[in-house]
Amino acid sequence: VTGVRAGGFPERQVRARARNGTRELFPPADAYGQELFGAQADPGPAGPGDDLDRARLVPPVFMPRRLEKLIELAREPIHDDVALETTIGGFRSRLPVFLSAFGSTRAGSGDLALAAGRQAARLGIPMVIGENMVPVHGYRRDAAGGGHGVILARIRAYAEEAPAALGGVVVQQSTEDADSEVWNLLYSDPSTQPLLDSGRLGFELKIGQGAKPGLGGMTVLDTGEAERLAGRFTVRDVFGPDAPSRLRCATPGTFTEEIVRQQLRFMRNNFPRARVWVKLPPGRDVAAAAATAWRAGADAVTVDGAEGGTGWAPRVFLDHVGLPLAECLRRIGRPGGCLLANGRMWEGGRVVRALALGATAVGLGRAALVAVDEDGDAGLVRLAECLALESRLLISALGKYSADALAPEDLWWPGTEPAHGDHAGAVPAIGGGA
Amino acid sequence: MNPGDEMHHSDATDDAATRAARPTEPLPLGEHLRTPELKAAMLVQQEALHAAREFLRGRGFTELLPPLVGPVTDPGGRGAKALDVDYYGHTYKLMTSAILYKQASLRGFGKLFYIAPNVRVEPLETAGTGRHLVEFHQIDVEIAGATRDDAMEVAAGLLTHVVERVWETVPEQLHGLGRDPLAFTELLSGKFDVCTHAEAVARLRGQGHPQSEDAEIDWTGEEALSRDADRPFFVTDYPKGSRGFYDREDPERPGTLRNFDLIAHGGYGELVSGSERESDYATIVTRMRESGENPAKYDWYLRAAREGIPASAGFGMGVQRLVRFLTGLDALWQVSAYPKLPGVVAP
Repeated sequence: VTGVRAGGFPERQVRARARNGTRELFPPADAYGQELFGAQADPGPAGPGDDLDRARLVPPVFMPRRLEKLIELAREPIHDDVALETTIGGFRSRLPVFLSAFGSTRAGSGDLALAAGRQAARLGIPMVIGENMVPVHGYRRDAAGGGHGVILARIRAYAEEAPAALGGVVVQQSTEDADSEVWNLLYSDPSTQPLLDSGRLGFELKIGQGAKPGLGGMTVLDTGEAERLAGRFTVRDVFGPDAPSRLRCATPGTFTEEIVRQQLRFMRNNFPRARVWVKLPPGRDVAAAAATAWRAGADAVTVDGAEGGTGWAPRVFLDHVGLPLAECLRRIGRPGGCLLANGRMWEGGRVVRALALGATAVGLGRAALVAVDEDGDAGLVRLAECLALESRLLISALGKYSADALAPEDLWWPGTEPAHGDHAGAVPAIGGGA
Repeated sequence: MNPGDEMHHSDATDDAATRAARPTEPLPLGEHLRTPELKAAMLVQQEALHAAREFLRGRGFTELLPPLVGPVTDPGGRGAKALDVDYYGHTYKLMTSAILYKQASLRGFGKLFYIAPNVRVEPLETAGTGRHLVEFHQIDVEIAGATRDDAMEVAAGLLTHVVERVWETVPEQLHGLGRDPLAFTELLSGKFDVCTHAEAVARLRGQGHPQSEDAEIDWTGEEALSRDADRPFFVTDYPKGSRGFYDREDPERPGTLRNFDLIAHGGYGELVSGSERESDYATIVTRMRESGENPAKYDWYLRAAREGIPASAGFGMGVQRLVRFLTGLDALWQVSAYPKLPGVVAP
């Protein structure tokens, strides 16, 4: 345990799952038969949650899809029969889950990130590597000794553990990264060729992020490091003249519809063997931006809800800026391509809600870092096993047997009308005049 | 004894000659430098460069010597990378092409050319095309106030003149390499055909080749088109997103560039890339963003553009590709004295 903390995030529960695995999904087994359980009046230990968490998952009574599965299996289906394997932005994945980008922040580029990548590989899920790694940490640590810089170390650790033909590595490039030609470096690097040859390398155009939409990446540097990077980044003294730290700001980059379309075409033209992903901030025009990206050939569009991000951000942004994830997904509606969702993901209920609102998969960011901090060998694996079991239980309860069968009909927000088709048909409501 | 004879009679190089006849990868440098094929190719190259200078100087061009390093270079495309050098503590780039300098030079030289060395760290998948070297040279031409048609006319004239002169001056070298003058009859007989990128895409798709309509013609597609032709031809109107920010977008047809490639016949592929250039400052900045570039690093170029760069058109003709086409050799490395193939560590 390195002391990573995640305030405002159900850190205790994530740590428990990372340590104890699926037994954390149930009340203590030794309490069985002695204690009575039921719904809690309070919102639960994870806190009040956001709009997405407020939606209830609402199984129907009549389940024609369960009948289809029964016919297929010639026996009654159970939750184990739910298929979670899927294709995420061109990569086969065992779960509808990927490891989100951690950037050049301290939490995101040290041993934790390396351990998270190894475990993601073992899980057979894709991994995204965040922006600004190369301008900050360099590409190769020293040209003469052939030592590997942070980004290559993470790719190598992943590639060593990944099962054949599963998962993939996606590398972001920001405006400052473009100066360092990160994608070109990786595309022509002999050490990435096995991933390229097996179709498991992708590049992500980072248009923005959840924690601070409209701003670029921010990190805190000690004064010495700040001086070294001052030529490449804006470095500002906001912590006081005597403080040992400085604020490093990356530029957010300028995007218009045409700039997004052309940058994506450029990526496809220049790196024809790599998958092309796009990451969007929770902007008010998120639906138009996602549609533009898919039309320009993006293999995946990731939407960061305003709840997301390992991100270090000004308080005013954390509290006041950007659309919550549920609203982003609502605005996008039926996706025109592979849609990925980020933001406070750690347990099956929220994952299944996001999938029901159109996402193909969800990203684990803070939860993954906390889980590997709890157990560097298997914390993330256990957390993902919990998430998979919960998802299978929930999806089968909804009478469905694959993640992509989920739909908005599976959700209900208290206080709103039932979904179309769920009314009682010919039966008049009690007290209604027929 | 001329080098053509040497190819058949020198004991010292028989072994090397036999191996070079079935080239798959470069010989060790010491052997490669002694092959009769290389000697013949260098004699052809020397005449080709002489002819190119003769042609361009005859049309009022001035030859400048190009810069080798700079704070930025041509961002290029297709996954090729620029090499960095530490320049007094600043990261400079080796030139992938001197396009930015060509445009800036128009203010003093309305018609200019370089014989420019370039370095592009090409992706490994280009090692087997026979058409890529990491180090190569271009006959790099720029013409102030010119249209795309003007630049295409100069490129066609240049190629025709070089072919004529090489066959006049060193026919024995070409014959010695097994090149048949009949292969150039159509080239020398008249105007080159022109097809648009969209037409080329349609033709390739008609042959079952899955060519993307908004990307460059891929390597196998380019070779297929080249094999089908009996004389060089132009491909025009590439889509935006496939070329650099300096290729001018057609104001009448947004999304289409006023650019061209000249493709050799016989499977030798692209010899020339060129275009009308973008010279409007705001459009250049916008196009930089559209191609994912950070305008801040192009400071000197953008200052020149704000002050005013003349409208122009121009092109680069690959020297090694030209010599391979003239000699009919199988791979580009055979016509470079010091070949560096993508991904192969070589002296």
